[in-house]
Amino acid sequence: MTENSKQRSETWSSRSVGANWQHRFFYFLIKLGGRHIAYPFLYPVVLYYLIFRPDQRLKSRYYLDRRFPGRTGFAALKDSYRMILSLSQSLVDRALVGICGPGILKTEFPKGEELFNLAAAGKGLIILTTHVGCWQAAMIYLSKLKRPVHMLMQHDEGDIDRHYFEHSGEENPFHIIDPAGFLGGTVEMVAALKQGDVVCIMGDRLKGAQENSLAVDFLGSPVKFPLAAWKLAAVTGAPLAILFPLKTGPDRYRIELNEVIEVKRQDARPLERLKPYLLRYIQSLEKLCAKEPYQFFNFYDMWSAEVKTSDEPIKTT
Amino acid sequence: MTDNNLSERLKKIIIEELNLEDIETAEINDDDPLFGDEGLGLDSLDAVELVVLVQKHFGAEIKDMEEGKVALASISSLVDFIKNHQAE
Repeated sequence: MTENSKQRSETWSSRSVGANWQHRFFYFLIKLGGRHIAYPFLYPVVLYYLIFRPDQRLKSRYYLDRRFPGRTGFAALKDSYRMILSLSQSLVDRALVGICGPGILKTEFPKGEELFNLAAAGKGLIILTTHVGCWQAAMIYLSKLKRPVHMLMQHDEGDIDRHYFEHSGEENPFHIIDPAGFLGGTVEMVAALKQGDVVCIMGDRLKGAQENSLAVDFLGSPVKFPLAAWKLAAVTGAPLAILFPLKTGPDRYRIELNEVIEVKRQDARPLERLKPYLLRYIQSLEKLCAKEPYQFFNFYDMWSAEVKTSDEPIKTT
Repeated sequence: MTDNNLSERLKKIIIEELNLEDIETAEINDDDPLFGDEGLGLDSLDAVELVVLVQKHFGAEIKDMEEGKVALASISSLVDFIKNHQAE
């Protein structure tokens, strides 16, 4: 029996595993000396979680057992360490951006001009992001888009980890749409896209109505992925840009504009017709996991949810 | 267009464009909820299409969540919304 199969995880939560004082301690370190002071403290903290919090370590195995099948013992432990450390650094970077400003990170965006042009075209733009790297690294670029930016984002109750803009006490430069709100925020998203705005949606985690998803193979087994972004693209005609913000060095990030997808209006229904588009995203995601295996931050069993195989009918009405 | 005509047309559009199967316009009560387990049983992805359909067929634009909450409650509330919008 693998560690993975012993563990019983159900769904993901954005709630931090750290205590409030631990977060405050790191915020203090960042204010004191930035990344150079905060990063060294991460190593003992990560080791603590690795050794004394097997429940947390096991959460990394859902993904890692599929990314590195057959790895056991010390090699598996090392993988978990690297993944948890990578997430921890990402969280520090997020706070760093909030406390010191987005300019603190050296972020390159090779295809930035393409994204700016898409946003400026006024047709609406969907930016499909993923729980990889640190999307706050993209802030400096998103704030340069010449259109209002809306983000579908939820804070779980009791979540003490702050969003980057909460550190400075400044008003959030982006409009937040709550996926727990009326009809999952879809009405707000349609309205935003129809007026030519930019909407950012995470594409890798399903929360809410299970029927609004499609199961496709990801790292060898089926996973249900949400379809809201694809449906919005089909119905509103807004292009969908897949963006990956990847950490490339201690203070360096690269924003990868992976692909821009136009979803045809006639593919909006039934939902099964969105599958070819979704598969393009999944293929990009698998390539990313191959290239940057420790920057994919999903610490729950994406594969355990009851999934429909691709042959089963998908509820459309 | 009378309320009844508007309601009928709206129901037809919803049935046709959302591909609702095995349901006739007469089976949809004007005051039944559009979303959720009761009533028509539409979901959030149907809402995406519905908002665009209302704009396309009736020129009535649902601009935010507050408007949406009121307008998308039932057929009769949607009829009211369309009428009010067209009257503007």
